[in-house]
Amino acid sequence: MQLTPDDIIVFTLAGWEVNATIVNTWIVMALLVGISMLITRNLRPDVPPNRWRTSLEVIVKLIQGQIEEVTRNSARHVMYFAGTLFLFIALSNLMLVVPGFSPPTSSLSTTAALALSVLVAVPVFGIASGGVGHYLKTFIEPSVIMLPFNIIGEFSRGISLAIRLYGNVMSGAVIAAILLTVAPFFFPVVMDMLGLLTGMIQAYIFAILATVYISSATAEPDAPALKKEDKS
Amino acid sequence: MSIDWITVIAQIANFLVLVWLLKRFLYRPILDGIDAREAEIKRRMAEAGEAEKKAQAAEAEFRQQQKQLLSDQDAVVKQALRESEDQRDSLLAEARAKLEQEQQDWHKHLERERQKFTAQLQRTGEETLLELTRKALRDLADESLEEAIVRHVSARLRPIAGELSDAAGDSKEAVATTRNTLPEAAQALLLADVKSLLPGINLRFESDPQQSPGLVLRVGGAQVAWTVDSYTEEFDALLNERMAAGASGRIQPTGT
Repeated sequence: MQLTPDDIIVFTLAGWEVNATIVNTWIVMALLVGISMLITRNLRPDVPPNRWRTSLEVIVKLIQGQIEEVTRNSARHVMYFAGTLFLFIALSNLMLVVPGFSPPTSSLSTTAALALSVLVAVPVFGIASGGVGHYLKTFIEPSVIMLPFNIIGEFSRGISLAIRLYGNVMSGAVIAAILLTVAPFFFPVVMDMLGLLTGMIQAYIFAILATVYISSATAEPDAPALKKEDKS
Repeated sequence: MSIDWITVIAQIANFLVLVWLLKRFLYRPILDGIDAREAEIKRRMAEAGEAEKKAQAAEAEFRQQQKQLLSDQDAVVKQALRESEDQRDSLLAEARAKLEQEQQDWHKHLERERQKFTAQLQRTGEETLLELTRKALRDLADESLEEAIVRHVSARLRPIAGELSDAAGDSKEAVATTRNTLPEAAQALLLADVKSLLPGINLRFESDPQQSPGLVLRVGGAQVAWTVDSYTEEFDALLNERMAAGASGRIQPTGT
C-alpha cells in the first residue's frame, strides 16, 4: 500500500526525480492560478460583477474576515500567506475525490514544507512588524527562565502543525484504502465524503493556527497600548 | 513515513511561488476591485447626494419663484384693475366734459341762431314798419316819411335849441346821419330848420348803413334823434318772450 505520493516518481528531469507530490502540487497551483486569472482578467469598477467574480469575492472576503477576526487588523500580507495556505490545502484535500489523484497534503514532505513556511513566516512577520529586538524579547518573556521553553514551543508549534495536517489527511487516505479492501463498493464513498469534510476542516485549522501564530508575533507591540487605553 | 527533504524544499518553493501568483492574480485584483467598486459606489452616492441637494435647492427656488410669481400676479391684476378703473373714470369724465362742451356749443349755436333770427326779424320788422308808415303817410297826408321825420326832429330841436348852441361850443358843424341818403327835399327842409334854429352852424349829411332807420342830428357833444328803435323795442321784447317760451316747450297765454 502506497502511503505517500513521494514514492511515486512521475518523471526525471536532469537527474532529479520529480515525484507525484510535486506534480500534483503543480496541478493544484495551476488550477488555483488558472481559475483566478480567468475570472480576474477583466475587472472594471463600473461593470457589475458576474457570478464567478462574486464567488471569488465571497471566498476572499471570507478569508479576510476570518483573518481580521484573529489579527484585529487588516494587514494584507498576512492574508496573502494564510489565505494561500487555506486555498492550497483546501483544494488539495478536495482533489481527494478525483480518482487516481493523491493530494499533496497527504505527503509529510508537503505538510513539513508548509509547517516550515509558517515557522519561518512567524519571525519574519514579527520582525517586520516590531523589529528584531522586540521579536527576540518575546522569547525571554515573562522571564529569562522561559527562554528554552519558548524556543521549544516555537519549534514544536511547527512540528505539531505538520504532523496534524499530515496525520489527518494521510489517515483518511489510509482508512479509505483499508476499507476499500474490506468493502470496496460502499465504505470508500462514505470515507471520501468524510475526507472532504475533514480536509476542509484541516485547511481551516492550519490557516487559522498560522494566522494566530503570526498575529501573536505581530500584535505584541499594541498590547501595552491597549492596556493603557483600557485603564483610561 | 519519511520526509524527502528535496521535496520539502521544492514544496516550499512551490508554496512561495503560489503565494506570489495568488497575490498577483487573485487577492490584489479582487480586493482592489472591491475597493474600486466601493469607491465608485461612494462617488456615485456622493454625486447622487449632491444631485439631490441641487434638486432640492432647485425645487425650493422654483417654489419661491412660483410664490413670487403668484404674488406678482395678484399685484399685477390689482394694478391692471386699478388702471382700468382710472382709465374708465378718465374716459367717462372726458366723455362727460365733451358732452357738456357740445351742449354748451349747441346752446351757443342756438343762441347765435336766435340772435341772428331776432336781428333779422327786427330788421325786417323795422323795414316793414317804415314801409307801412311811409305808405300810410303818403296815402293819408300825401307826405314822405323822411320829411315827416325831419319835421319831427326839428320840432324836438326847437325847445332845446339854446342848450344845443351852448353844447356846440366852438364847433360850428352839425352832422345829420341817416341809414340811406336823405332826399333833397328833406335835406333842404332840415337845412332851413337848422339855419333858423342854430344860426352859424353848418349842417352836413352822412349815411350809415348800420344805423337804425331814422335821423340823428349831432351838435358837438349833444344829439337829437328819431329812430324806429324805440318802436321796435316792445316788438323785440314780445319776440324774446315767445322764443323763450318755445325753447322751454310751453307757451304763455297772452293778455292774462
